[in-house]
Amino acid sequence: MESSIKGRLLRYWKVYAGALVLAVLSDMIGIVKFDIGIGTLTLFPMVFATIIGGLFGPDLLRLFDMKESGAAGAMVLVCLAPFMAKMGVGAGANLARLVEVGPALLLQEFGNLGTILISLPVALLLGLKKEAIGACYSINRDSNLGLTTDIYGPDAPETKGTFAVYIVGSVIGTVFMSLLASIVASWNVFHPLALAMASGVGSGSMMTAAAGTLAAIYPDYAEVIPVLGGASDMLTGITGIYMGTFIGLPLTTWLYNKLEPTVGRIFARNTINSNAGGEAE
Amino acid sequence: MKAKAEIRFFEQMGLLALAGTIMILTNMIGYKYTLVQSLQGYAVLGGIALAGVTISRFMSRFIKLPTMMYVSLTGLLLACPLSPFKEQVIAWANNFAFLAPATALGAFAGISLGKDMKNFGRMGVKLIAITVLVITGTFIMSAFVADQVLKYTGSV
Repeated sequence: MESSIKGRLLRYWKVYAGALVLAVLSDMIGIVKFDIGIGTLTLFPMVFATIIGGLFGPDLLRLFDMKESGAAGAMVLVCLAPFMAKMGVGAGANLARLVEVGPALLLQEFGNLGTILISLPVALLLGLKKEAIGACYSINRDSNLGLTTDIYGPDAPETKGTFAVYIVGSVIGTVFMSLLASIVASWNVFHPLALAMASGVGSGSMMTAAAGTLAAIYPDYAEVIPVLGGASDMLTGITGIYMGTFIGLPLTTWLYNKLEPTVGRIFARNTINSNAGGEAE
Repeated sequence: MKAKAEIRFFEQMGLLALAGTIMILTNMIGYKYTLVQSLQGYAVLGGIALAGVTISRFMSRFIKLPTMMYVSLTGLLLACPLSPFKEQVIAWANNFAFLAPATALGAFAGISLGKDMKNFGRMGVKLIAITVLVITGTFIMSAFVADQVLKYTGSV
């Protein structure tokens, strides 16, 4: 039984050693922040590891061949499991607080699905194929990454869509959320408390950025805004995976199957280069 | 049949140990936890991961649900207020930084995506546009629903 592990180690030692070196190097670089005037861009070690790893792949520097690249894909799923375990423990530890949150907080979780209706049509118009399903069914934070990779496999176009939005979101998420919060607040259509709840839709750092901005705009609510944002963030952490499994993905796939034949045809007429889709191999 | 399941169990354990080695290093280098803390943390998280995957394999005979959902659910149940082990589970899991598993994940994902770098480069601007749209859509719709419910329930 150990022989299959041993065999894998012997055949793909370069992948495991490479990932170890990449991870250690990226962790030594640490979290890098750029001040770009309107806010801060954040680069996590994970982003460095992904980009450098990608550069060494068969497309560019060729340190890893196609088979090794595939073996790394299998390890992505293995790595996701402890990550999901950590999120699960976090959800369980906060379960008692669920009782304290009101109906508005619970229901606004369904608002998270609204992105599908807005982003999927545009993604299709931009020429994305099945990547659009992974990219558009949720805000693509950590638990969604686990879900898509698990359901479609690490090499599927759907997973690439989720992964791309996850990575881009981790870099621009904080700066964009604080920008977005101040723009939407200036419309004066939503109650400050509703905006506070909405600031918890993404990652913890996105929530902090958005709630901070909102607290500065609405000093009267400055104390309660981070509390609601935090509760909403925690709630998304608990409900996200079930929302995605039972509503988000089925709904997105259904809409994709409805829209893609029409939009895809228009797009195919405009550009010959349809190779940009997921079926590259 | 049983032997096969056993092999897969040990194989999964080996792979988790392999991934865990990198994650423990990340937890120590990137997040300044001690070796003992990191080992405790990974014992809990890796254990939950292994249990979740095993339960998922067993359950898939009856109903097909994402493996990661079982992993997450196992963690949730072990840490929930009703769990007799909650203090131990939460305390040890707290010795592992939230993003500590992410660096290893990123490294493997990077090597895996290495075959599609040209594609990603070509789609780069589009993907940024989609990300912006996804975040905007989620935020506004969430604010809209919260706003409606708050008004309907007379909270504001």
